Amino acid sequence: MPDIKVTPLGAGQDVGRSCILVSIGGKNIMLDCGMHMGYNDDRRFPDFSYVTQNGRLTEFLDCVIISHFHLDHCGALPYMSEMVGYDGPIYMTHPTKAICPILLEDFRKITVDKKGETNFFTSQMIKDCMKKVVPLNLHQTVQVDEELEIKAYYAGHVLGAAMFQIKVGLESVVYTGDYNMTPDRHLGAAWIDKCRPDILISESTYATTIRDSKRCRERDFLKKVHETVERGGKVLIPVFALGRAQELCILLETFWERMNLKAPIYFSTGLTEKANHYYKLFITWTNQKIRKTFVQRNMFEFKHIKAFDRSYADNPGPMVVFATPGMLHAGQSLQIFKKWAGNEKNMLIMPGYCVQGTVGHKILNGQKKLEMEGRATLEVKLQVEYMSFSAHADAKGIMQLIRMAEPRNMLLVHGEAKKMEFLKDKIEQEFSISCYMPANGETTTVVTNPSVPVDISLNLLKREMALGGPLPDAKRPRTMHGTLIMKDNSLRLVSPEQALKELGLSEHQLRFTCRVQLHDPHSDTDTLGRIYTHLKSVLKSYSIQHVPDGTVIVESIVIKVTASAEEPNLKVVLLSWSYQDEELGSFLSTLLKKGLPS
Amino acid sequence: MMDSDCFSLLPAVCLVLADPKQSPPDDTSLEKLLDWFKELHSHSNGQVLFQHQPCLLEFISSVCTSKTTDPAILSFTLKLTGLLAATPQGFHMLDEGGLLVYVFEREAWGVCDLWEDASVRSGWLQGLLNMLKHQQALGFLCGNGLIKVILQLQNDRSLFVACLANQLLVHILHFLTSSNMTNGSDVVGSSETSLRSDWVSVSSEIMNAVVEALSSEDHPQVLQGLRLLSQVLAQCGEPIISTLWKDVLVPLEVLINRGSESLIQTLITVLEAALGTPLLSKTEYKVEELLEAMLGDGNRRECFQCAALIVKLEKCPEVLKRKATDIILLPLHCVSTQPQAEKEMNVVLKEQLSQKASCISLLMQSLSSLAQLAHTKYLFEDISVHSITSSVLLLLRMCSGHCPTSLLHINAFTHLIGCCKVQRCGLDTLGALSVYEEILDLRKDIFGVLLDYLQSPDSHATVLKKTFQAFKRWIVCSPFPDLLQFISHDLFPVLEKRMCDLRWEVRDSTLEFITQLTTALNSNSGFTEALHTSGMVSILLSSLADAEGYVRASAVAAVGEAVAASFHQTVLVSNSKLLEEALVQMMAILSQDTEGFPRRAVVHAFTSWLKGSHLTMGLESSLSSVLSLGGSDFDWEVKMLTLELAEVLMEKTLACCPYAVQNSGSSEETHFTQALIKFKDFGLFDLLFNSLFDCDRPVCEKACALLIKLRTLIAEIADLDNSILFLNLCGNRWGDEVQGRYLNKQQAKASVCVKNGATGSDEGMDCGLHCIKNISLPNILQILDLDDMQKMLTLSSDHVVNSPRSLMEDILSAAQHSEENIVDCY
Repeated sequence: MPDIKVTPLGAGQDVGRSCILVSIGGKNIMLDCGMHMGYNDDRRFPDFSYVTQNGRLTEFLDCVIISHFHLDHCGALPYMSEMVGYDGPIYMTHPTKAICPILLEDFRKITVDKKGETNFFTSQMIKDCMKKVVPLNLHQTVQVDEELEIKAYYAGHVLGAAMFQIKVGLESVVYTGDYNMTPDRHLGAAWIDKCRPDILISESTYATTIRDSKRCRERDFLKKVHETVERGGKVLIPVFALGRAQELCILLETFWERMNLKAPIYFSTGLTEKANHYYKLFITWTNQKIRKTFVQRNMFEFKHIKAFDRSYADNPGPMVVFATPGMLHAGQSLQIFKKWAGNEKNMLIMPGYCVQGTVGHKILNGQKKLEMEGRATLEVKLQVEYMSFSAHADAKGIMQLIRMAEPRNMLLVHGEAKKMEFLKDKIEQEFSISCYMPANGETTTVVTNPSVPVDISLNLLKREMALGGPLPDAKRPRTMHGTLIMKDNSLRLVSPEQALKELGLSEHQLRFTCRVQLHDPHSDTDTLGRIYTHLKSVLKSYSIQHVPDGTVIVESIVIKVTASAEEPNLKVVLLSWSYQDEELGSFLSTLLKKGLPS
Repeated sequence: MMDSDCFSLLPAVCLVLADPKQSPPDDTSLEKLLDWFKELHSHSNGQVLFQHQPCLLEFISSVCTSKTTDPAILSFTLKLTGLLAATPQGFHMLDEGGLLVYVFEREAWGVCDLWEDASVRSGWLQGLLNMLKHQQALGFLCGNGLIKVILQLQNDRSLFVACLANQLLVHILHFLTSSNMTNGSDVVGSSETSLRSDWVSVSSEIMNAVVEALSSEDHPQVLQGLRLLSQVLAQCGEPIISTLWKDVLVPLEVLINRGSESLIQTLITVLEAALGTPLLSKTEYKVEELLEAMLGDGNRRECFQCAALIVKLEKCPEVLKRKATDIILLPLHCVSTQPQAEKEMNVVLKEQLSQKASCISLLMQSLSSLAQLAHTKYLFEDISVHSITSSVLLLLRMCSGHCPTSLLHINAFTHLIGCCKVQRCGLDTLGALSVYEEILDLRKDIFGVLLDYLQSPDSHATVLKKTFQAFKRWIVCSPFPDLLQFISHDLFPVLEKRMCDLRWEVRDSTLEFITQLTTALNSNSGFTEALHTSGMVSILLSSLADAEGYVRASAVAAVGEAVAASFHQTVLVSNSKLLEEALVQMMAILSQDTEGFPRRAVVHAFTSWLKGSHLTMGLESSLSSVLSLGGSDFDWEVKMLTLELAEVLMEKTLACCPYAVQNSGSSEETHFTQALIKFKDFGLFDLLFNSLFDCDRPVCEKACALLIKLRTLIAEIADLDNSILFLNLCGNRWGDEVQGRYLNKQQAKASVCVKNGATGSDEGMDCGLHCIKNISLPNILQILDLDDMQKMLTLSSDHVVNSPRSLMEDILSAAQHSEENIVDCY
């Protein structure tokens, strides 16, 4: 039986570097190629040696698919393609292809800034890797090769995020990447066809959570910023150059406009311009509201948000500053933080997750005294707020997607084991389908039973009807006989006559012949007569004829007798039969070999 | 040495981790803690950990007794226990209390579901692996029947666990053959060693398992057995390998003769490992014979894959390699030769070539093996490189839709049209073949094919990139008389077209190619002339305004090389014009470009110009702008590159003056002073001091190093006239910092003065506080404690955050801060 194999190298029962191998219909596909930001050695990348023990990556993999630009989904890509070595195609959507190198570059810079970093890719490698990327559009079916095709669906989550349907013949898998089933301020909700894949591989970050609406979190955020600015404090929001930053900028921009606020908002890097350029360029990927208002005013052209110069940090009075990097581990955001940390009027808002080993992580854990360079201690007096704006589907959203796609099996990744377990039970109960949750390095094998649709000719059906029996019924399988024509990617069952006509072939009669030697001291005619009598007694229900021209005929089988030239007593019996009487023919030859009754 | 207050935190951390009510810290913390323990262990040979064992022992036993339900903590505990037991001392301590058995007793974990978690199984194996450093540990493994469990785990459903189990088994066998575990042979003069009798049963248990696995009907089990076998061969010594080999020889032969496609790679790995052992020299061990059997007579489906793998083997016997080479070249030969040879073509190959997927993969195997052979400049015997190269060329032509009529009947042709995979592979191979001088006469054909690829509108971007790479190899390896003619008449027009390609990838690769070409033909005046006369230069200049940042950066590099090349040929009028235009556009990029790559490329271009020539007038006028723009860039790497430019500038300027040749004292001073004045005019000091107080550590570090260099030079010149080197502190960001530090120093000095009751001034310095506006360079360099700063910068903030102490603080504060942040990855 054909099967589909799924092996996560990352994201199996964890929320780390996503990297999932799928084998389907003889094709090997890698879904995402993420990086774990919490390590600064090889552990940050998926362990590709498990793939390379089967040979070189280029020879093993048919393609790599990247779902979206977040580093836990694409961060190991240049390492894989340029350092481990992969020359084959990499697929991602147009926005992902545009934005991915910016984030990779941003992270490379942050990484090489640190001490003791080894084995990391260079700018040139990022570029060379991006040159191997084949961009695709939503709902466009891309033929990777003759057998393998892929198709992208809108996933929400971040700009350009996509879910992918992977299809080989009649077997298919859908990989969701990260997705969001509720629209947010600048992106729409995920959507997919009722494509009934054999396996739906879904993220399950919020497997057990029903999240409150994002609106509440946004209101909360605005309220906190507003309060701080009103009391003359400064707000620092550490972000990565792209993604969350744009979302929060739109939020503040509209709020400032509405409330007619005057405090300056700054963005600290030169990257914003480029980032906003992409958001403008890919306006069709944003939600309807943004697309509609785009005609009157481009949401990404900010009136209130200005470029930051590091001297501004010492300016008196309130201000809001977006600064990179997002985890407060180096550069500008850390420098501003050090300046502002001592004042309780100020506020730090962390809009994203921080890995261990960063200042951001310490502050979120509530540490109030931080050791800085040269044993100096920094007292953290400013207010610290953590706000999760991440856009993942919650338990309700995941169930909703299952209802949409109607998969035959479900496989959960990108979540915590305990929470997955809960969701798995729920899915199995509600949808009566198997749900798997392999750990990293474990292979899930799902046996597929592909039903191959075949068109049946009307003639054949009519003939079948004429033979009597029940009318054709979709719920009652039955056997049909005919000639199968495989032509131009279609399968049709027709009557043999029609097949001959259609294919312009002439019918050939196939006859089998066999010689049997008999010791029979009689004349040829007598021997034939004896054979006739013998068969008559053995095959009672068959029509047997003794034709005067010297042959005995049983059904389509013709039997003749000739004497051997050297030995008159040795008779050679010639049998010949058609394909339809194959069984009877061989039975007769065996029977005659045993000799005639005396 | 290790910080003692780290250890003071350890007991508290252990308490937190052992508390089943606490949720465990994030996944990386435990790993990093273990990293620290390992580091301690290896530095002190286990002594330090041993000293701190009370709290660690307590931790281990409390995890065991409290029946922790968290797999991560359990896995950590198993690894830690193994690490502690890695010294005989630690082992005894853990063993005496029965803790060791308690921790590793498989049954204990089996009762609960925890064993189901792969991380626990992997922790268990890792723990044993950590422990297995001495005989007692091995005794423990054997005495408690753990070998059996390890053998079971060898076929675990988790790839990671199975792999680790294999590693542990190899380690055990390796350990058995290490010096302290074997008996020297009784026979004097024999180098043979044998296993001590008490360990024979261990080794045979493992070896029997290998034999059993190889004879199994279960495919994954066979695979794991073969993997173990290859690792044993690669890592273990005698007598293990010959004993094992004797036992596995029969099942191995069966497997090889069965010819299962999915085992080929692993079987070859086994044989490859065997090639590196003394087994090879003994005919009864049949290593060569088996390899030959894998190849068969070239009539089996799998023989091509085998041949492709054998060709890559380093230690392969020559005869076999030749045979494999013949086989692997067959597919290439078949699709590119005339029909009369078809009769000889074997049926299996014909059938495979008739199907698209297998045809492509066979040809790719053929081509990449060929490239592999070319890398070592392999000497072909029965077949000439000439005919091989012709075949590759023909294949490449077929891929782009050209096929000689005599070959049209081969349906491989239809499979090949437009096939990027074969094209890329073929081009790589063609490039690799450039090492053979004997095919230089084919160059015309080769260039023809490559040019066709460049011209074809259907060529995929990745194919074009490979075409450029092949082109470069052929042009660089053998400059020929008509090369320039070819470049300017044939190549440049195509490149000019490609630079207007819609795809940025193509434009970029083209520019990269031109840069490489210019670098390679740098000394060739004809080439530089061709660049100008063909109009290429103006296209390069227009590429500086490309819409894509990557392309602009490559254009900057290409223009940079073109300008550098023109330095050698100053006679051309167009050259100075080129520099002029390049400077205008590059300065615009540096000041306005929204992306980092082009700006970085500009500074880099300046640095290489400066390195390759003396300061020309044209350059000098722009240098101060580059230093000031580059020094205040958003991107710290631009700043870094600007500092590198400053470094070259310093070296060049100082090398210019006779100071370097130690002339008479006065002129030495004058030149040095002149150089310093020049630096001041360039704005070099502003750059260095601003960078010193930058928010990005590498920038500060570089600036600090350069300033220290400067300080040393200044110190060497005794009577430097300070008056001309006064710098203005006002209105500078760095000025405020210097001012601040200056005042701090003054203050400190004043308080010392007060304390000592001194009234006079020390060394003519006043103890009173006053601000300064102008200050001399040597003075600033003294006020700044550059050495202290450098020390701090080399440690970096990251060092603090990544220290074990910081890690433990994080674990502790996470525990106090119990309110759970929702998992949020991004």
